[in-house]
Amino acid sequence: MKIEKKPSVAVYKLSSCAGCQLELLNLEPYLLDILEVLDIRYFPMAKREAGSGPYDLGLVEGAVTSGEEIIRLKKARADCRLLVAFGSCACYGGLPSMKNWVAERLVEERVYPNLAAVHSIKAYGIDEYVKVDAYLKGCPVSRDELVDFIKGVLLGTKPYLRPHSVCVECKLHENLCLFVTEGQPCMGPVTTAGCGALCPSHGRVCEGCRGPANDANPESLVETFEEYGLTRADITRRFRKYAGMTPEFERGAVSS
Amino acid sequence: MALKRVTIDPITRLEGHGKIEIFLNEDGNVENAYFQVPELRGFEKFCQGRPAEEMPRITPRICGVCPEAHHMASTKALDQMYGVEPPRAAQKLRELFYCAHMIHSHIAHFYALAAPDFVVGPSADPKVRNILGLVEKVGVETGQEVIKHRAYAQRIQAMIGGKATHPVCGLPGGLSKALKEEEREEVEKMARSCVSFARKSLKIFNEVVLEKKEYVDLVRSDFYAVSTYYMGMVDEQDRVNFYDGDVKVVDPQGKEVARFRGLDYLEHIGERVEPWTYLKVPFLKKIGWKGFVDGPGSGVYRVAPLARLNVASGMATPLAQQEYERFFEVLGGKPVHATLANHWARLVELLYAAERVLELSRDEEITDPKIRNLPTKKPVEGVGIVEAPRGTLFHHYRADVDGMIQSVNLIVATGNNHAAICMSIKKAAQGLIRNGEVDDGLLNMIEMAFRAYDPCLGCATHSLPGQMPMEVKIYDHRGEKLRCLKR
Repeated sequence: MKIEKKPSVAVYKLSSCAGCQLELLNLEPYLLDILEVLDIRYFPMAKREAGSGPYDLGLVEGAVTSGEEIIRLKKARADCRLLVAFGSCACYGGLPSMKNWVAERLVEERVYPNLAAVHSIKAYGIDEYVKVDAYLKGCPVSRDELVDFIKGVLLGTKPYLRPHSVCVECKLHENLCLFVTEGQPCMGPVTTAGCGALCPSHGRVCEGCRGPANDANPESLVETFEEYGLTRADITRRFRKYAGMTPEFERGAVSS
Repeated sequence: MALKRVTIDPITRLEGHGKIEIFLNEDGNVENAYFQVPELRGFEKFCQGRPAEEMPRITPRICGVCPEAHHMASTKALDQMYGVEPPRAAQKLRELFYCAHMIHSHIAHFYALAAPDFVVGPSADPKVRNILGLVEKVGVETGQEVIKHRAYAQRIQAMIGGKATHPVCGLPGGLSKALKEEEREEVEKMARSCVSFARKSLKIFNEVVLEKKEYVDLVRSDFYAVSTYYMGMVDEQDRVNFYDGDVKVVDPQGKEVARFRGLDYLEHIGERVEPWTYLKVPFLKKIGWKGFVDGPGSGVYRVAPLARLNVASGMATPLAQQEYERFFEVLGGKPVHATLANHWARLVELLYAAERVLELSRDEEITDPKIRNLPTKKPVEGVGIVEAPRGTLFHHYRADVDGMIQSVNLIVATGNNHAAICMSIKKAAQGLIRNGEVDDGLLNMIEMAFRAYDPCLGCATHSLPGQMPMEVKIYDHRGEKLRCLKR
């Protein structure tokens, strides 16, 4: 393929573990090809010199948890033509959003000796503050989707991001259902596919890291959880792990 | 001339966010230096009130660089909490998985983070002093080999763990999925290739560093050395082990002073809180905290590859054992105090990890489907210790009567090294900065003292760090910033 002009890319990091941006480097079979077609200008974790903006594509990793991050995020929005929520934290808060149901003061007290200097806020996805053009879900992001997405950017096509639930992929793998056969409470029925039902294929229930699928029915899953003997607190904890800030999972967290 | 302050912030090519501050005196020479971690977002709090069995799937998210280390320490802590021993096949499979993580991490650190300083040159233009500049020097072929073997290590981890970043396989009493015969064959094939790649890496190190007198002198130079205690895990025959064994401590002369497991860590390690950083400073309790000083009277200790080689009597695999012997022969006997020797030690460990994966992949038991003993007791308290790529990692959990996590204590590799890192930076700065003259090449040479530890600050603060890299700042004694190198 001939690329007229390489799209310029910036990789930003807010509150996160860096796992998603490392997935970029972990695209080993394609890594050299990707470096051929993308002009990665700003990527502080991998390279020291930084090319200036504006950029065609901005990948934002991490949840927003401080005022300083809001400022950086808005600058990123202004600098990038396409802005992508890169991974579950940037999509809807991700694992850090677990803290959102504990009073902020208690979280701060637990870790900071001097509260005067602390200005943490609840963990939100980036679309709480800026317009987002695409969402790549997952903890970490799925490499297949990432490659698909990069192809989409290069060709001007819409990447195929799965709308259905993890159960569909799990069935395609011909896995035995952990929920039905072993009674292990699984978030697969309400969670977006795209991971290839990775956890259930390894004998572990889905934790919902990819957030709600289209047309998810959390109320029905709550009923099933209750039939299997989960307490209200157990159920709430499951929905408030990665994507408790989404309306669908919040419905699951509070419905009874 | 006034007292100056130099800060390196952000430090690039490292995992996490931190800064180096250097204070100059009136003559422009180094008075003091600190390594600060200005962020902390407390993972311990998130975990409270979560079911104990969730911990191995929560804690990897502390850090996307070494999630496998947290996953494994967490899983081992659960074994102890539930009082259940995994079957032999599960233990071997866990070790195989874990050694694959070491291969992956050590390759990444050496080639992407450390080697550019030596191969391209410590004071080369930062534009070429990176992995791309490195590939230019060593050839695209080697670059492709690096990528290939890093991918192999990832593939092995994903086979067992589901995915390499944030694995899901660990359960109290074993693992969630057994290894199939066709997978085993694939692992064996990849491991064989990793062994020859590790040997090639040692050959490159030999050509690029050991055959150049200026670099050997640099590695051995006094300003890159601190004489501390060392800590690392050893097997029952006193050889390096990453997955399980006793934690052993030796003094600056190499004499064993402690050996412990599990909960006993509390008797041996104290943690200090310093007002200027969010990262705690651990020290050896029985020796005591004497400040940021080296020598036998100070409780400062070091972990990571050099420390592991210093505490152990050898390596458990034949080729790595030869390299181990050569390492101490060239560097003048045990223990080695030269911080930059960490890079060489890392490659010796890379070879060991590859050989060990190969050995385990040929083990008859490795495909045994019995990989779990079901726990029958309620979780109470447990400590899981592994050797993370960057050093000893402790996870300590206590549960309430319902099996929910009540308290969590994590001592991470970079935390263990915190005091020593500060001292190494100060010493390097003192040796390199003269009369207030500071340039970019010089600052990079100071950063090298820091980078040798492969610090992972995401882990260090148990945090979800914000900005990645680091900066160097220079201040005068009135607190005025004279220079700031921010990258």
